[in-house]
Parts: sequence; structure tokens; C-alpha cells
Amino acid sequence: MIHMTALAAFIPYNTLVVAAGVAAVGCAAGVIGTFGVLRKRALVGDAAAHATLVGVASALLLTGQRDLAILLVGGLISAMVAIAFLVLIRKFTRTRDDAAIAIVLSVSFGIGITFISGMVSRGIPGSGGLERFLLGHTASLTAHDATLLGAVSAISVLCVVVGLKEATMVAFDPDFATAAGWPAATIDFVLVALVAVMVVVGLPAAGAVLVTALVVIPPAVARQWTERIVPMLVIAGAVGLISALSGVMISSLAVQLPTGPIVVLVATSFLIFSVFLAPCRGIVWRTRSACVFPSDSYDGNDTGTTADTVTERKS
Amino acid sequence: MVENDSASKMHVDAPMLEWHDLTVAYGRRPVLWNVDFEIPKPCLFGIIGPNGAGKSTLLKASLDLVQRAGGSVRFWGQPLAQVRSRIAYVPQRETVDWDFPVTVMDVVRMGATSKLGWFQRGGKRERELALSSLDRVGLADCSNRQIGKLSGGQQQRVFLARALAREAEIYLLDEPMAGVDAGSQEQIFNILVNLRDQGKLIVAVHHDIRTAVEWFDAVALIDMRLVAAGPTAEILTPENLAMTYSGRLSVLDEIGEAVERGGRTS
Repeated sequence: MIHMTALAAFIPYNTLVVAAGVAAVGCAAGVIGTFGVLRKRALVGDAAAHATLVGVASALLLTGQRDLAILLVGGLISAMVAIAFLVLIRKFTRTRDDAAIAIVLSVSFGIGITFISGMVSRGIPGSGGLERFLLGHTASLTAHDATLLGAVSAISVLCVVVGLKEATMVAFDPDFATAAGWPAATIDFVLVALVAVMVVVGLPAAGAVLVTALVVIPPAVARQWTERIVPMLVIAGAVGLISALSGVMISSLAVQLPTGPIVVLVATSFLIFSVFLAPCRGIVWRTRSACVFPSDSYDGNDTGTTADTVTERKS
Repeated sequence: MVENDSASKMHVDAPMLEWHDLTVAYGRRPVLWNVDFEIPKPCLFGIIGPNGAGKSTLLKASLDLVQRAGGSVRFWGQPLAQVRSRIAYVPQRETVDWDFPVTVMDVVRMGATSKLGWFQRGGKRERELALSSLDRVGLADCSNRQIGKLSGGQQQRVFLARALAREAEIYLLDEPMAGVDAGSQEQIFNILVNLRDQGKLIVAVHHDIRTAVEWFDAVALIDMRLVAAGPTAEILTPENLAMTYSGRLSVLDEIGEAVERGGRTS
């Protein structure tokens, strides 16, 4: 508490609120991203992130207002449209998933960049600084903007906390959930939509190009340290929070520095550390084969079955 | 153990499970044609056929996991939507990510909590139900292990325990013996026999004729259409098998042998 007040005395109110808002975004991105990663939707999030630029630019063009809330709603709409295109391509063509994602990502990003550079070069009012959505720039956020980002983040996290049972069941085994009468496709859609929301509110912090890192890296770090879903959500949230906060702090020292790369670098350093040193899953532990699970009653007659699984596929 | 007559009160004459002219197509490619048979009473029922015969699809179409192009499925004479809570599905083991951060206990609890309403996490009752289900499949000691650290046979039993925790009356199992060694197979079959003896219906997709002869009360031979269905001994004849596996001559001899051997032991 003493630290807080001491800090508040030295750091301007606006900076503090922005830091808190962006930290909330980082935390929420880690939590929501956990389900995105477990459901193997990291690349879908990346495509959605790259597609946000079109919406941000269009929102400015249509409304003529440079209000962050309006721009982000635009971004969310174009992110959802991109996801809809992914679904359509999957349904109506024989294009493979990875190719479909690459197509949607590059096409929507190309359109977005064209929009923004066209608007900037024509000097359309308010278009100056739109390129900040590319790599993130928290220094230009107002306290009002940050409050909005923080509120959306809090609501998103609340959704996951309330629907933890449903989200886990569907993320683990959608067929079982469907057979048990749960609307797995709808729950799945909500999870994907939440990822889209997170890449949108993460735009000011990390930018369209790098925001996926905020959704993907913290869960990857968390998975190294735990075998349970709730601890994974907590650790991912904490790593996201620290990464985002570091981004705000460091970029506020150097005004010209975009926030996104800093956020990514901080998160990545967590990842490198975890990949090597986490107990059991870390490379160091694995090479020393130090992690045997002792005293578990392993049935003698149950031997590894990878070979059988390969030969006997589904009918 | 549990009275399971609540169902038959309303539809006394209706068979436990019946398929009427079931047809399924993936795109324009038909997978199942006019499959029409019924399972009147609780038993251990095998769905047998070659790879790509549509065995798994039959289960999935019965549970609305894939769309039906035609026909219908009835449980106790009723559509699925009205009886879901009394049915449990065991998907193929390789359909899920076993590196998922959940423990054995977490997965089995999903079976118990899947019967609760929205946002209800369950409590002591669900925990105890999960524990007793784990006990029935002999995995009570592994409840805190991450699911990826189990052998294939143990993973299959975790899936089975999750289904048991639903306290269902009809169990639909997709390839419960895939990638499972002989010892575990026997263990799993014993659990299924036990279930049947409690008056449950178990329908399992299966590919091995030898063990089918040994364990199943009745079978259906499927090769994109229904070849034959009925008591195991009557259905698994060399003629029926030849029809089911036609065009797959290399496996025919093997099957013939298996049937002979199975016939002698039973």
C-alpha cells in the first residue's frame, strides 16, 4: 500500500490507469488464450488478429470518429468476418485448414494495410497514427480507453470462470459433450469469439501483427508448469499480466518504442525459461530423465500401445 | 443395482434401440445405406465390419454427431433428445488430445457433471460417483495422474469410467479395444459383461472376429449396409463374413480360421 501511494505520487494518473488497463488485457488474454491453445485455435486467433485492421480502418472511414471503442468494434466485426470466411472455406472447398488460415490472414491483412496507407496518404482526418494498431502503442492511450479495455477484459475472464465446466468439457472432448446433450458447437463458438475479443482489446497493447503472442505464449508457458487446467489458467493470466505490464512500462520510457515487440520479448523470455527449466516438461529435466512418476500403480499387463494405435485406425 | 424400468413403463413393447432405414452420406459419398435392425433387450452387442464400413458412423449418426440423410433411430421407442441422460457415449480414444491438462479424476468427473445443469460444477455426490466409477474399472489408484501418463488400455478404461459416471442404461462404445493389448481387452470385456448383467445395453464397435465370437451376445455385420444381425453364433458364419468382407480376400482366410477356433472354444 505504501508502495502504491509512493508510486502514485511519482507516476501520472493517466499512466497508472493505462498500465492497469493493459495489465488486465494481458491477464485476460492469457486466460482466454488457454482455451484457444487447448482447442488448437492459435492460428485462427492469428488470422482474426490480422483481419482487425480492415475493421479499424473502416470504422474510422464510416463514422469519421476516432474513438477507441468505435475502432475496436470495427476490428471485432472484421475479425468475426474473417473467422466466418474460415468456416465457409472449410465447408465448401477442399482447401486444407492451414492453407485456409494463411489465405484469410494474408488477404485480410493486405486489405487492411491498403486501407490504412490509402487513408493516411489522402490525409483523411483522424487517420494519422492508425499504423500504431500494427505494432501496438500504449503511450497514446487515455485513461478512458484503458478503463474500457480493462472492463472488456474483466467480463471476458468472468465468462470463462462461470463457464469453466462447459468450456473444459467441450475443449477436451466435443463429441462426448454433444452426445451428452451440450451445445458443443455453440460453446466452441463462444470460446473462439472470446479469442477474437481478446485479440481486439489487445490491439493497443501489442498490435495486429503481434497480439496473437499475447494469446498464445502465456498458455504455452503455463502448460510447462502444470498438469491441471485451473492452475494453467492462473499461471497464463499472471504471465500475460506481467508481459503486458512490462510492455507498458518500458515503452513509456521511450515514447517512440512500440509496445508489441516488448510484450512479445518479455513473454518469450518466460517461455524460454520454462521450456528449459520447468519440472517434468522442461528440456533439462527430460534429458536427465529425472521425472519419473513414482509410486503410481502401473498395471503390468498394460504396455505402451502406440504401435497398435498406428495399425488399427478408425473404421 | 439401479432400477432401469422407468423407461419401459411408457413404451413397454418398444425395443431398447432400433434403427429404421438409416442412411448417412459424407458429401455425395454414401457411407451407410438403409440400415434397419433393432436390439430388443439388454445385451452385449457388437458392431462388426471391415475398415471404412461405417461402423463408427452408425454410432455417430445415432447420437446426432453426424447428420442423417434419412431414416431414424429410436431409444425405447423415443427420439434421442428425450432420453439423452440415459445414454452414454465412449468415443474413439485417438479423437482427444491426451496431453490435455486434466487428471484421470477430472475426466471421470466430467461424466458425472455432464448430467447437471448449466454452470453447475457438482460436489460431493459427483466426486463419489467418479471415484466409484474409477474403482469399477480398476483405476482408483491413478485418479490424480495426468491422463497422458497412462497406457492405452488405461486410457480406454478412463473413457469407460467417464461413461459409467453418467449412470446410463445404454452405452455406445466406438472401438473400445483399439490399441489395447490382450490382457486389458479381457479386463474391459469383463467390465462390459458386468454392466450387461446389471441390465444395461452395451453396443460396441469392434473389429476382431475372434474376440467377438468369444464375448458378444449378439452382433450386426456392417459393410456400408447391414449384412446380418442377430445372435453371435447364428450371424458370424463363413458365408456372412464372406459377404461382409467381400473384395478383401486377404483377410478372409484369417477370419475363417478365427471363426473356427472361436467356434471350438465356445
